[in-house]
Amino acid sequence: MAKILIPTPLRHFVNGQDAVEIAGGTVGECLEKLTTDFGDLRKNLFNDEGKLRSFVNVYLNDEDIRYLDKTATAACDRDTISIVPSIAGGR
Amino acid sequence: MIQIERQAWEAMVAHARAAYPRECCGAMLGVEKDGTRRVSIARPMRNAFEGAQEDTYVLDPAEQLQVEKEARARGLSVLGIFHSHPDCDAYFSRRDLENSCPWYSFVVLSVKKGEFDHANSFLPNFEQTAAEKEQLEYSV
Ligand SMILES: [Zn+2]
Repeated sequence: MAKILIPTPLRHFVNGQDAVEIAGGTVGECLEKLTTDFGDLRKNLFNDEGKLRSFVNVYLNDEDIRYLDKTATAACDRDTISIVPSIAGGR
Repeated sequence: MIQIERQAWEAMVAHARAAYPRECCGAMLGVEKDGTRRVSIARPMRNAFEGAQEDTYVLDPAEQLQVEKEARARGLSVLGIFHSHPDCDAYFSRRDLENSCPWYSFVVLSVKKGEFDHANSFLPNFEQTAAEKEQLEYSV
């Protein structure tokens, strides 16, 4: 079971839990399972085409999955998956 | 609505003034209850943009992870992100919008000639195509 840490603004979609344990082979499968179990969460993470939204960065432990195997990165027991929005701006 | 307690507000203004004429950024921690976000701690963050910071800010994702951990440890939530606009009004620019997310309040502080001028808070939509203005209250 990998542990997915839920950012506060999304906790009310998962019955107020701050983390959800999910069994899944890859990070992508864990996120799919998470958003199937908690359907209202889905539009926060995925767009209408089923792709992760552009502002959603996913970390496996402390590594950005973009620099690993993206959503195909294997998620093992005791791994922690974090969801961190990418934020910037300018005039 | 977002309400910022005095100590947190002072830390935000101090961070914005210290960074002037560059843009500062940081996180706002607190609790949300009945649709009101009450900020008790402002956590200054590093502007990770590797160019001219006079008109650009970028959060460091590693520091975001750290801030999220700090919030959890205190029993608080990351409620929003703040940044400053040096010598410019506190509007939500197109680039602010396109690089935002719908989960947080985005507070923009206008700093003119090195001094705080005014601030606004914004709530971006899911597609990052529009942001509505959020009622902002702070204690001074
Ligand atoms: Zn801005």
